[in-house]
Amino acid sequence: MRAGNLADLLKKGDWVAVSNIAGREASHVSAVSQKYCGNISGGWALGKGGQKIETPKGEISVFATFEELLRLTPAEKLPNKILVYSPPEAVYGEVKEIVKYGEKIVETIFIVTEHVSVEVTAKIYQICRQANIDVIGCNTLGIINSHDQVRIGAVGGETPEESFKPGSVTVISNSGNMVNTISSYLLSAGMGTSFGLPTGKDKLILSPLKELLVLAEKDEKTKLIVLYVEPGGTYEHEALGIIREKNFSKPLVVYVAGEIAEKHNISLGHAGAVVEGSKSSAAAKKQAFDSYFGIEPFRVEKKYHRSPELTASLARGIRVQALHHITKAVTLIVSVLGMKKDFSSSKPLGLNPWFVNLGELGKHLPAELSPAPGIVPEPYSDQVKQQSKHLLTGMIRQSMRNASHASSNDGVTPRIYGYSLLEVMKEKSLAAALILYWTGELPRDSFEERLAEMTLIAALTNGPGTISAQGAKLSASAGNNPNTAMIATLATIGLTHGGNGAKAVKFLLESFADLDIKDPYQEYGELQKLAVKTADDFKKRKRAAKEAGIEYEHIPCLGHPVFRHEAVNYDPRERIIYSYIKESGRENIFLEFYHHLVLALKENGSTALVLAVNVDAVIASVWLGICWRQIMEKQMTMTRAVDIPFIAFALGRVAGGAAEFLDHQDFGTEMDMRIPVKECRTLTRPSKL
Amino acid sequence: MALRVAELTFFDYFASRYNIPVPRHISGAAEINKIKRSLEEWGGEAIVKPDVMSGKRGKAGVIVTVKNLHDALKEIKRVSGVEVNGKMPRNAYLVEKIPAQQEIYTAITYNSTFLGPSFTVSLAGGVDIEEVEEDRKVTIPINIYDGLDAYQAGEAFASLGCPKNLISNLSRVMVFFWDLFISCGMESAEVNPWRITPEGKPYACDFKAVIDEFNYKARVPGVVFPEYPENISDFEEEMAEWSAASHQGQAHVSSLGGRKILPILFGGGVSTIISETLEATGGSPIFLSDFGGNPPYERMLGTARICFSHHLARARLLLILGGKANNTFIDVTFQAIADALVSYVEEKGPVNIPVVIGRGGPRLVKGLLAMKQALDYLKLPYVIFGPDTPVTMVAEYAAKLVNGISNLKEV
Repeated sequence: MRAGNLADLLKKGDWVAVSNIAGREASHVSAVSQKYCGNISGGWALGKGGQKIETPKGEISVFATFEELLRLTPAEKLPNKILVYSPPEAVYGEVKEIVKYGEKIVETIFIVTEHVSVEVTAKIYQICRQANIDVIGCNTLGIINSHDQVRIGAVGGETPEESFKPGSVTVISNSGNMVNTISSYLLSAGMGTSFGLPTGKDKLILSPLKELLVLAEKDEKTKLIVLYVEPGGTYEHEALGIIREKNFSKPLVVYVAGEIAEKHNISLGHAGAVVEGSKSSAAAKKQAFDSYFGIEPFRVEKKYHRSPELTASLARGIRVQALHHITKAVTLIVSVLGMKKDFSSSKPLGLNPWFVNLGELGKHLPAELSPAPGIVPEPYSDQVKQQSKHLLTGMIRQSMRNASHASSNDGVTPRIYGYSLLEVMKEKSLAAALILYWTGELPRDSFEERLAEMTLIAALTNGPGTISAQGAKLSASAGNNPNTAMIATLATIGLTHGGNGAKAVKFLLESFADLDIKDPYQEYGELQKLAVKTADDFKKRKRAAKEAGIEYEHIPCLGHPVFRHEAVNYDPRERIIYSYIKESGRENIFLEFYHHLVLALKENGSTALVLAVNVDAVIASVWLGICWRQIMEKQMTMTRAVDIPFIAFALGRVAGGAAEFLDHQDFGTEMDMRIPVKECRTLTRPSKL
Repeated sequence: MALRVAELTFFDYFASRYNIPVPRHISGAAEINKIKRSLEEWGGEAIVKPDVMSGKRGKAGVIVTVKNLHDALKEIKRVSGVEVNGKMPRNAYLVEKIPAQQEIYTAITYNSTFLGPSFTVSLAGGVDIEEVEEDRKVTIPINIYDGLDAYQAGEAFASLGCPKNLISNLSRVMVFFWDLFISCGMESAEVNPWRITPEGKPYACDFKAVIDEFNYKARVPGVVFPEYPENISDFEEEMAEWSAASHQGQAHVSSLGGRKILPILFGGGVSTIISETLEATGGSPIFLSDFGGNPPYERMLGTARICFSHHLARARLLLILGGKANNTFIDVTFQAIADALVSYVEEKGPVNIPVVIGRGGPRLVKGLLAMKQALDYLKLPYVIFGPDTPVTMVAEYAAKLVNGISNLKEV
């Protein structure tokens, strides 16, 4: 090999070019690599020249050919490492192009592509050897250098830093997955990695073990080598021959898989894991390693007593018979040879179930088979908490192309969530039908139904000056049809106008999330306390933001551009709904909370006046009340609960917009919404070309 | 992936195209008078061989010399029905017996030492090459671009002390052997033995080869190779077809004959280790699987459906297990498995077996929660592990659990 040690395969400062970078996998992997180490100088893909691959660390340029990439890349970023992600039929051509134009620049080619023919693999080996270029692959996953925090390819997946922490172990494996898996297990033994190198397991492995071990021996940071080996080829026998001869100085911990293939006379998933000749079998490889080590395979139950013989054997290494014994064998070697662990803290590997629900079965099983849920470690624990919020009991994601829970039609009866539309037409109001269609359940009583109806009416209008009414009027003035004017109404509501209710629901959900409230229509004694705390928190945030000179998040749905001149302000539409609730002898704790909050904000000096609880707040409070039980029982997603008040407002307002359109169409003059030129202000000076 | 070539296919399709001399032969299904005429033309003696996709036919006692029509017909019938290494023959055929002064072994194969093709020769033909002492065989590398030249073959023969009068004929035919190997996209080809007549003419009398299916040369225009009865289950056959339908993601299975655990496994290496662990701890896996390689949703959905449709009804535990993936999106693959499981129950009715899951990799939590949600929906008992529990420990637990449940039922 051209490389003199492992770092020559990849180190900080190397630049990588990626073939077929616009492909599904290559572009994704490149974006992750760029975020991790930013070592990709460019890529190329036939017919895709000029495109850019977006990454969190900026764009990667895509060139049409490798030659173009070399021509247009600045000298200081010319790639000395190449990652080939091309389809099998294109790999040979790519390598020829790399050799032709990059012979003096390129040091190593990593070929990720699977299913490359063995003939092409042999040809690649020959032309690259002549050009003094090392090849890793085919079917490798790349390489990672943990100390330099650089990688090529997909080693370590989306979070390479999670499994590959700088340390003393180099993992060389026929399987890409095992490099990641073993490295993550090693952490539990207090050991990090120096390099992770998946060789691939095609019929011909172009970076044979005998050469990689020589490189690993020369790597100062590597103190120990873990090998994952599969049947096929005589790489291990040759490697052992050479390291015996040279008195190899670093211990190996070896796991040989694949005896199952010989037992059942089957082929394994990896193309090269095919037994040809007795030497290439897993059994022969195990025997060869055991003979080199001079010690029987590691036994977890055995007490190893220090002796010169044990030290001598373990200095060569040991074979393990179970994957999870690798960490124990590494610990034994570290201890007997007096090596230093990479980290002081370590946690032994063990069964740690994240989720358990054995139901009835669990009650009859012995304790060891019915484990209690363990602790989900970080960063997963946070992710579980976050993502569980979006999951619903008893529901499942599926292809919805031709399926709907919300509606059906068997050719006879159209239905809404199973209820006959015809029966709903006969028996129910529009508000009840909408509650059913939006939540999947009919309103519990006429109180809820009436509240919903009132929010729709409240949303109809706040006069012709509202942005949404203006949208409809502009459209009418331009001579549009009613549907376009209605779209214009919808297009002119957003998170600031009309959609603030969505923010209000989020705010309320956060405020009430940890309180065990079953019925939002029953009084809740702690509302004032909650409001004071919320107001105080807001005040602190506001002050801190002001000191830092940054924007702060306002509490949604407080205040109104029209109703804002009194010491205590009200939105009259909100008043109507509030009064109806009170007259019905009921409560809406969310709306009540809002009223306590505006008082508390005035009390603690956050606001000069008592702000109006506006119509968006009341719409949000009403619909959150309707949805509350389903949210608590995990029958409704938070997303839906947040969207519904916005939809309610939009539905009311679009009907209002239609009314403005009709009015404007009948009585407006042509182009009357146009602002005369003399009323338009110019904010730039005229300039000459 | 590899396509094996049986001897009769070599005789019928390859030998004549590459000028490789082979003995005359006739199908066992030919008219009786034609078989009779062939026997007469060949000097009244012939060899009956089964047309089977397996080596070691001699050791199985199905290569028989016959000296008359009656014996020929009897042996054709007999050897046609004898399994060799678990493989049934398609038929049997008769081959002319070549008188020989010498038997020679040759093979061309890709070699992990040279990382290219190599040529192996021995004058001890007719026996298993691994049983031949090292000093009685020689292997030389072949330059993949130059090929095997006659002089190189000649030197190899000479180095073993081959009689000089045979070297010229043998070396020339080795060039044809190379042409066959490289032109047909073969991974390995073996002629054992070449029988050299007293006149010095070599005949390729037994042949086996493996063609690399990933080599475009494997597809010979206009030629459809005969199908051989494979000792594979309907499940393996369906999965093989599904696997061949796309190169996106792996869909590899091999039946293991177990009866307890249905294993949906990910990663070529990890799946091997898990299967070995399951076998060693009494988990009795039904098959070995490798479904890694970042399969898209539709691919994984189809794969899971095939597994469930063949085995879920009889399985006693469903194991979904893989290491810490580098590349495979866990949410995509697990959502597909969850959907396949839900569809299965909706179509075929409820199942009631525990499910053990272990995985790590990109978008893990989303994937695990998707599975959890489906299992809650189906009311199936489950235990789900993350990447902090080694796959082999999860496999051991699954094996213990499935046996623990069996014990409960017995009680």
